[in-house]
Amino acid sequence: MTNLSAKRTNMRNPDTQTDNVRLKGRHFPVRLSLINVVMLALLATAQPVAGESQATDHQACLRCHAMATLSYRDPGTGNMINLSVNPQVLSHSVHGELACAECHEGEFDRYPHPENRVRKTRSCVGCHEDRDDAKDRVYAFKTIDAEYAKSIHATSDSADVKGFSCHSCHDPHRFRASKVGEPLADIVRDDNQVCLSCHEKVRDPVSDPHAWLPNREKHWTAVRCLDCHAPLTGNGQRISHQILKAKDSNRDCVNCHSKEPRLLNRLYQYRSKADLANQGWFNKAIFNDAYVVGMSRNPRLDLIGLSVIGLTLLVLVAHGFGRYKAYQRSRGIK
Amino acid sequence: MTSLYLYAGWVRAWHWLNALLFLMLMLSGASMHFAGAGWLLNFAVARPIHNIAGILLTLGWIGFVVGNLTTDNGRHYRVHLRGFLQRLFIQGRYYAWGIFHNAPHPFHPSAEMKLNTLQQLSYLGVMYLLMPLLILSGWGFLFSIYLPETLFGLGSIWVVAMMHLTVAYFLVLFVLVHLYIITTGETLTTNLLAMITGWHREQEAQTHMETPR
Repeated sequence: MTNLSAKRTNMRNPDTQTDNVRLKGRHFPVRLSLINVVMLALLATAQPVAGESQATDHQACLRCHAMATLSYRDPGTGNMINLSVNPQVLSHSVHGELACAECHEGEFDRYPHPENRVRKTRSCVGCHEDRDDAKDRVYAFKTIDAEYAKSIHATSDSADVKGFSCHSCHDPHRFRASKVGEPLADIVRDDNQVCLSCHEKVRDPVSDPHAWLPNREKHWTAVRCLDCHAPLTGNGQRISHQILKAKDSNRDCVNCHSKEPRLLNRLYQYRSKADLANQGWFNKAIFNDAYVVGMSRNPRLDLIGLSVIGLTLLVLVAHGFGRYKAYQRSRGIK
Repeated sequence: MTSLYLYAGWVRAWHWLNALLFLMLMLSGASMHFAGAGWLLNFAVARPIHNIAGILLTLGWIGFVVGNLTTDNGRHYRVHLRGFLQRLFIQGRYYAWGIFHNAPHPFHPSAEMKLNTLQQLSYLGVMYLLMPLLILSGWGFLFSIYLPETLFGLGSIWVVAMMHLTVAYFLVLFVLVHLYIITTGETLTTNLLAMITGWHREQEAQTHMETPR
């Protein structure tokens, strides 16, 4: 999970749908495109960066890497490898205040970059656990590591997950944690984009394995994939990195809709207020969009209720049969 | 053959409207509650049906209460304490034993009292206890933001939801028993026809009959 030379990095942002950083080049660099030529010209005028304070200075690197089309074709796979880094996205990312050289150590001021540097494995867990604030973090990276080891992304034999790493989902140049106060819909959309960039079948309503789900489209905009496809954990971390197999994922509405009454209360009240504000009193009474599937579901009450109804039906049938027998007897006497 | 006009037009209209709404509410309610099970209504369809039927049921209930306050139909719901337990026992014994031995009906409706004691008790429970709880919890769902955040230390939505569910199960139970009990008149359809025509007709000699008005 700690290999920066990931085969694939698939986190997409809506503004840059085509970004697909592929850093592994077997014969890097092999072919110079026109852009590379331009880049070399730029480099010729660049100041040497070695020895400079690089605390927040990405400029030397971004002179080339900020170009949206910076890429080369991997001769091994024939795939275009995107080497561009969006400076704005980088500056808003969780690593935005780091200098490039804090992760990309070594002689990157030279071009071509030395191949042994480019291929160097970079560890998220190592770096994050070493930092002073490791204990104050919402996510403990050692826990993430342990959870990920049990994840379907780590245990599957499928060729699709070969070379899977942290960076397959979390592009270090654009990843940022969501903050309280951001619109829920934006958080959900950005989170789900990560999954959907690989799991494309889900986008197709015909082949989507979620067809069974009531209000499927609403779930897409209101619930993160992870809410059903990762287990609930009691370790204090908001979400587990142990992505579950489809068959082990949550299919029970009650697990979300009524097991945690406080959550239900808060969400329902929030949506009710929004309904009233947007639709008015009459439409609220008739449509009540806030109501979600399973709100009233309680397995114990359901069991008792349905059992009593079933028993009552049996008693009524037996009672009716007894009356019929009595009727037959009365006719026999007559 | 005796004929008694027991069910006024408004009572019958209310009754059948109520019956229709009950059916719609049970079907749409089950479709919302057990959404995802194949044989039910689509959730998005069930939700407005349930809400509209619930609003009409509320209006119907208010009409029923007002009708009972302003007409003499209300007298049938007044409990006469004298001999109450004895009447209850006699009626219960008839359903548990006498009915299987072709015993005569222990109760004959009259203009003063059309409901036997067991019937009266269950209708009182349904109309003046369960229905208000059902209606209040139903409206509680719709306008929950006007409720306090917690009720009895629990999230108010949860309390409302569980109350609505519990009362709904009781009322489904009531409907089942009610549908069966109406077949226990003098003939299978005596009681059903009475609620359709308003006239309660019996062949049997009635010793406790009051003069029809």
